[in-house]
Amino acid sequence: MDLAGQLTSYLYQYFDNATFLILAALGLILIYGMMGVINMAHGELMMIGAYVATYSYHAGLPIPLAVLCAGIAAGLAGIVMELLIVRHFYNQLLSSLVVTWGLSLVLSQGALLILGPSTLNMPTPLGSFSVGGFSFGVYRMAMTVVAVLLMAGIWILLRWTRFGNQAQATIENPRMAAALGIDTRWIYTTTFAIGAALGGVAGGMLAMTTAVSPFFGQGYTAVAFITVVLGGGANALVGLAVAAGYLSGVQTLLSVMVNQYLGYVSLFAAAFVALLVMPSGISDFLERRRSRKVQR
Amino acid sequence: MMCSKIGLSSVVSGYGRVRIVDGVSTEVAPGEIVAVIGRNGVGKTTLMKTLIGEVPVKSGEIRLNGRDIGGLTAPRRARLGIGYVPQGRGIFSRLSVAANLGLGVGVGDAARSNFDRVFEFFPILEKRLQQPAGSMSGGEQQQLAIARILVGNPQVMLLDEPSEGIQPSIVQEIGRTIRRLRDQQDLTIIIVEQNLSLIQAVADRCLVMDRGRIIAEVRPDALNDPALAKEYLAI
Repeated sequence: MDLAGQLTSYLYQYFDNATFLILAALGLILIYGMMGVINMAHGELMMIGAYVATYSYHAGLPIPLAVLCAGIAAGLAGIVMELLIVRHFYNQLLSSLVVTWGLSLVLSQGALLILGPSTLNMPTPLGSFSVGGFSFGVYRMAMTVVAVLLMAGIWILLRWTRFGNQAQATIENPRMAAALGIDTRWIYTTTFAIGAALGGVAGGMLAMTTAVSPFFGQGYTAVAFITVVLGGGANALVGLAVAAGYLSGVQTLLSVMVNQYLGYVSLFAAAFVALLVMPSGISDFLERRRSRKVQR
Repeated sequence: MMCSKIGLSSVVSGYGRVRIVDGVSTEVAPGEIVAVIGRNGVGKTTLMKTLIGEVPVKSGEIRLNGRDIGGLTAPRRARLGIGYVPQGRGIFSRLSVAANLGLGVGVGDAARSNFDRVFEFFPILEKRLQQPAGSMSGGEQQQLAIARILVGNPQVMLLDEPSEGIQPSIVQEIGRTIRRLRDQQDLTIIIVEQNLSLIQAVADRCLVMDRGRIIAEVRPDALNDPALAKEYLAI
C-alpha cells in the first residue's frame, strides 16, 4: 500500500469532513452568536440555495454566479423570515427553536408541494487527480478553500468595518448601542440576512456534491446544530473552527478505522463528551481561560 | 418656554403598569447644568432612561428645542443630539477604545477631527486607542463613555452617577472637565448624582426627586446643611 496516497487520503477526508461542518454551521453560528437564536430552518435556507444554484446552472449561468444567486436568494428569504417571525424571539432560545423548527417543516413541505419529490442534480466540476492509486476531487478541495475564505471574510467584516463594530456593540449591550444612535433593528435584520446568505452559498456549493431534493436541508441541520452548540456563542468564528476541527478529527479517525456509519455516530459522541467538559461551548471555555490569564 | 433647551411636561413613565416617573415637569436652559438628586429608588435613573428613550413615555411631553421627541426611538433621539452616559458607563468591553469612540453618533470621515477635540479634554484616551476598553480602569472607562458621546457633538448630555466606583481624585478631575465642557462646547447637562462634592463642583441647581416627582429645587450650596443633605441624598 502506498503510504503517501494513504496519508493524503486521510488528510483529504479530514478536511472534507471539517469543510462540510463549517459550511453547514457558519451562517447558523453567526446568528446564534449575535442574537441568541438557533435557526432550525437553516437547513431549509441551504435547500433554497441548492435549488436556486441548480436551476440557475441549468439555465446557463456559470457556477460561481449560480452559487452567488443561491446566496442572494437565501439572504432575501432570511430577511423575510427575520422581519415576519424571528425578530419576536431574540434571546429566547427555546421559543426560537420551536418556531424555526416549525418554519423548517413548512419550507420543506412547501418545497415538496411546489417542486415535487424528484431529485435534481448538478455535475461536480473541476475533475480529479490521483496520488498513489487514490483519486481525489479537486472541487472538494476548492470547497475547503472557499469555507476558509468565507470565515476570513466574516472575521474581517466583524473586526474591521463600521458595521462589524456596530454589530459587536449590539451583541454586548443592545440598549447602549441604541442610545448611541445605532439602529439595532437594522443590525439584527442585516446579520440574519448575512447568516442566511451563507447558508444559501453553502447549499449552492453542496448541490454539486449530492442530489437536491425538498429534504436536502435536513441532513445538515443536525450536524450544524451540534457544531454550533459545541462551538458556543462567545467567539463564534474561533468556536466554529475548533469545533469543526475536533469533530472532523474524531469522525475521520473512526470512518477510516471502522466504517462511515460509526464515523458519523462518533461525531455526536465526541460532541457529547466535549460538552460534558465545556457545557457552554468551546469559545466560551477559551474566553474564560483567557480572561483568567489576563487577570493574573 | 421657547428659550429652554430641554423641557418636560407632566412626564409619566415606567415598566408595565408601574409608574416610576410620575408626572415630572421642568425646563432646562441652554448651557445649564442641572443635578437630579434624591434617595435610592425614587426614579432618577428611570427619568434618564425616559429622556433617551429606553423607557417609553406613557403620557406627557419631552421637548428638545421646543420639538416633542417623546415618541421617537432612542437612536433617533441620539441623532438629534442627546448623549447618554448610563450608570455603569456602558462601555463595550471587547471593542478597542478607538472602536468605542467610533460608535459615537454620526461619526463619518468628516468627523474624525472631533476625535482630536475630544482628546483635548481626555488626553489619556489618545494613548489607549488600541487597547480593549474593558481593560481600562473605572475612571478611564468613565472618561471614554463621556468622550464617546462628545464625538457625536451632542446638544444635551445625560450623565447617570458618573462618580460611581471611581476614586475621589478622578471624580474631581471629571467634575472640572464637565464644567469646561459646558463652558467651551455649549453643552446642556443633566446629571444624576449622589456625590455631594461633585454636585457642588458642577451643578447650577438641583432638582430633588421623591416617588417619581420633583418635590423641591435647591441651590447646590444649600446642601451644606447636613439636615438637608441627609434628607435629599442617599448618604
